[in-house]
Amino acid sequence: MDLPTLLQQYGHADGIWDEMYDHQQIREQYSKVYSALQQFDAGSLLQKDRLASELFMNQGITFTVYSDDAGIERIFPFDIIPRIITGREWAHIELGIQQRLKALNLFLKDIYNEQQILKDGIVPASLIASCPHYTREVFGIKVPHDIYVHISGIDLIRGQDGLFYVLEDNLRTPSGVSYMLENREVTKRIFPELLASNHVRRVSNYPLLLHEILLQMGPAQISDPRVVLLTPGIYNSAYYEHTFLARQMGITLVEGRDLVVNNHKVYMKTTEGMEQVHVIYRRIDDEFLDPLVFRPDSALGIPGLMSAYRMGNVAIVNAVGNGVADDKAVYAYVPAMIRYYLNEEPILPNVPTYELSNREAREYVFDNYEQMVIKRTNQSGGYGMVMGNKVSPEEWAKAKTAIEAEPRSFIAQPIIKLSTVPCFIDGTFQARHVDLRPYALCGPDGVKIVPGGLTRVALRKDSLIVNSSQGGGSKDTWIID
Amino acid sequence: MLSRIADSLFWLARYMERAEGLLRVSSTHYSLSLDKDVNGELTWQPVLETFTSATASEIEEIAHHTGPALMKLLTEANNNNSLKAIIGRARENARGIQDYITKEVWEEVNSFYHLINQPLLDRRLLTYEAADVLQEFTRRSVLYTGITDITMARGTGWAFMNLGKYIERCLETIVLTNKQYALNYYKVNEIKDIMQWRHLLMSLSGYELHLKTYRSSLYNHDVLHQVLFNEDFPHSVVYSLGRIDRHLQDVTRKSFSEENAALQRNFGRLFSKVKHTDLEVLNDNTLQPFLEELRQDLLRFTHLLSQKFFSYA
Repeated sequence: MDLPTLLQQYGHADGIWDEMYDHQQIREQYSKVYSALQQFDAGSLLQKDRLASELFMNQGITFTVYSDDAGIERIFPFDIIPRIITGREWAHIELGIQQRLKALNLFLKDIYNEQQILKDGIVPASLIASCPHYTREVFGIKVPHDIYVHISGIDLIRGQDGLFYVLEDNLRTPSGVSYMLENREVTKRIFPELLASNHVRRVSNYPLLLHEILLQMGPAQISDPRVVLLTPGIYNSAYYEHTFLARQMGITLVEGRDLVVNNHKVYMKTTEGMEQVHVIYRRIDDEFLDPLVFRPDSALGIPGLMSAYRMGNVAIVNAVGNGVADDKAVYAYVPAMIRYYLNEEPILPNVPTYELSNREAREYVFDNYEQMVIKRTNQSGGYGMVMGNKVSPEEWAKAKTAIEAEPRSFIAQPIIKLSTVPCFIDGTFQARHVDLRPYALCGPDGVKIVPGGLTRVALRKDSLIVNSSQGGGSKDTWIID
Repeated sequence: MLSRIADSLFWLARYMERAEGLLRVSSTHYSLSLDKDVNGELTWQPVLETFTSATASEIEEIAHHTGPALMKLLTEANNNNSLKAIIGRARENARGIQDYITKEVWEEVNSFYHLINQPLLDRRLLTYEAADVLQEFTRRSVLYTGITDITMARGTGWAFMNLGKYIERCLETIVLTNKQYALNYYKVNEIKDIMQWRHLLMSLSGYELHLKTYRSSLYNHDVLHQVLFNEDFPHSVVYSLGRIDRHLQDVTRKSFSEENAALQRNFGRLFSKVKHTDLEVLNDNTLQPFLEELRQDLLRFTHLLSQKFFSYA
C-alpha cells in the first residue's frame, strides 16, 4: 500500500476536532508536512521510526520496568509526525498563560500572607483549610521577588469547538521539558528538510532562560551565586531530565546527601571542603525536602533546609507550598482569582468543574456520571481517575462510596473529547487524542514561554488518557507562522 | 567538586579499566587456546581463578570448555565480576554523574551497557562468533578510553578518573604477574620459552614492546623488568605509579592540610619502594612477598584516598 492511500484512509471521527483535517481538507498549517509525507513510502518512515527509538535508547532517555528481577529499559514512546500549531493560536495561548500565572503568583503570595482573598469571600476558607497541600510551615516566609511559581507546566486541551481549555495547573515540579527539547533534536535528525522548510520556531533556549531566572533568585549582594539542581537520585523516573537540565545550564546536580545545613546556611560537600549554596532548583516534592519539618522518614532531603529558607539564606525553586494552588478543587477558582487580582476576564477558559463537596453538584454528577470524569484532587499522573463512560456498575458503586466518604478529595468534569492528530502506528496513519503542555518560566522580568511544548499522545485507540504511566507517548510540537 | 562526583568518577574509571583488562586477558586466552599444538595443556583455570570467585569444582567443570568459560567471565549474572556486572556498575556510576561527564562519554558507556545486555549474546559466545564478540567489546572499551581522553575536561575530575584508572591498572599488572610467575615457581633467573610469556605480555599489550626492547633470551628476567620497571611500558607498575603520583599532586595541591600531606607521604613510601628496588634482589624467594606487599600497600593507600576525598554520606 503506498502512502497517499494510507493518508486517504486516515479516518477521523465526527464530533472531534482533528488538528490536520477540518471536515473537507487538510488545514493550511499541515499542508507542507502532508505533501512531504506523500513523498516517503511506509518503509522509509518505519526506518525513521527505528532511528528515533535508537537515538532515545543510546542517550539513556529511558525508564526502567522491573520484572523477574531484571530491569528492562524502555523508551518513552515517541511519534515521528509533528503536531503543528499556528502562530496566531500560539499568541492566544501565550497571553492566556501569562495572565493565569500572574494571578496564581499573586494568589500564593496572598494565601501565605494576608489571605485577603479568603476575607473577601472569593475563595472559601474551608477549601484552603481542607487542602492537604496548604503548608502552614511556610506561612509568612518572604520569597525573592514575590515569585512562587518559577516553572510551570500548564496542561491545555482542545475541545470539539477548536478552543483551548486549561485542564490543570502544574505548579510544583512539572516534568517533561527535556522531552520537548529532545523530541526536537530527534526531529532534526529524521526530518531535517521538513523542519527547515516550515520555519519552525526555536525551543532550544529554554535552559538558558531558566538559568537566568535561577541566577536572579540569588541574594542581591552576591554577583555569582551558586545554583544547584536537587534530584532524588538515579532511581527517579525523571532522573534523565535532571541531568539533562543540569548539563544544559552548567549547574551542579546534587542529591540530598551532598548538602548540609550549618548555622542556617546550606553548604555542599566538595573535595575541597564546604561551599555555600544560594539557589536550589529542587526536583523533590515538598514533603521530602526537610525531615525535621515534613516527613521524618525522608532520606532524600536535607535536615534544616527549611530554617535556611525561612532566614532567606537560600532560595528554593519552585517555592514550597505551591500545591495549594494546583489542587484540582482550587483550580475551579482560578478564573475568579484572575478577576479578583487582575480585574481581567480569563483569556483561556477552565474546563467546567464540579466540586463534589457541594451537595447539589454531587447529586447532579451522580445523576449524569456517564458523561463525567471523576478525579482525585491531590493526584496526578492519571492515577485515581474514573471515566464515567467506561466504568462498570460495580466499579461505579465503589467509586460512589469513596466519594461520599470524603467528598472534598474529588472533583468531576464533563468528559471532553480531546482533539486528534495523525500518528504513525503499525505502518499506518491513525488518529489519536492529544493534549499540550507548554512550559512557562516566571522571573522578575515577567513570564516567558518558549514557543512549543510537550504534546502528549494517548497511543491506545480511542483512549483519552495521555499520561505516560497509562500508555501515553509524545510528539514534537511545532509553532509555525 | 562534589565528593560524591569524585567518588563516582574514580569508580567509573576503575570499572572501565577493569573491563578492559578482563577483555584483553579473555581475548588473548581465547586466541592462544586455539593453538593446541603449542599449549597443549592450556586451560581457562588461571583466568577463572583470577577474575571470578568460582569454587575449585566449578572451575574444574568449565576450565576445558571455551564457551562456558567465556560466558562465566563475560555474561554470567551471578558472577559478581563478570564483564556484564562490571559494565553495569560503571554505568550506575556514570548515571549518577551524567551532568559532570560529557554527553559523549555517557553515551559510550550507556551503549556499551546495552550491547552487553543483548539477549542473544550467550548464544554467540558458544560458537566461533565468540572472537567477533570479544573484538567488538575490546573496540568499545578502547573507544571509551579515546572518547574520554578527547572530550573530558582536565582538572580535578580528570585527576580522580586517572587515579582510579591507574590504581586499577597497577593492581591488575601486579595480580597477573603474580599469577604467571606462580606458574613458573617464581624462577626469575631461569630461561623459559618466550611462548610461555606471550600470555602475560599480550594480556598487558606488551608483547611487541618486549620483542623490540629486550635482546637477551633471559626471558623470565626481562619480562619481570618490563612489567615492573620499564617506564615506557604503559602497563608497567612503575609507569602506573608515576601517573598516580602526578594526579595525586593535582588533587592535593589545591589546599594544604595535614591529611593531604599524610596521603602524599604514604604514597611516596610506596612509590620509592618500587623505584629503589634492584631487579637483582628479586628471586624465587623474594618475588612473591614483594608483589604481595606492593598490592597491600596500594590497597591501603586507596583506602586512605577514599577516606580523605569521598566521604559524603
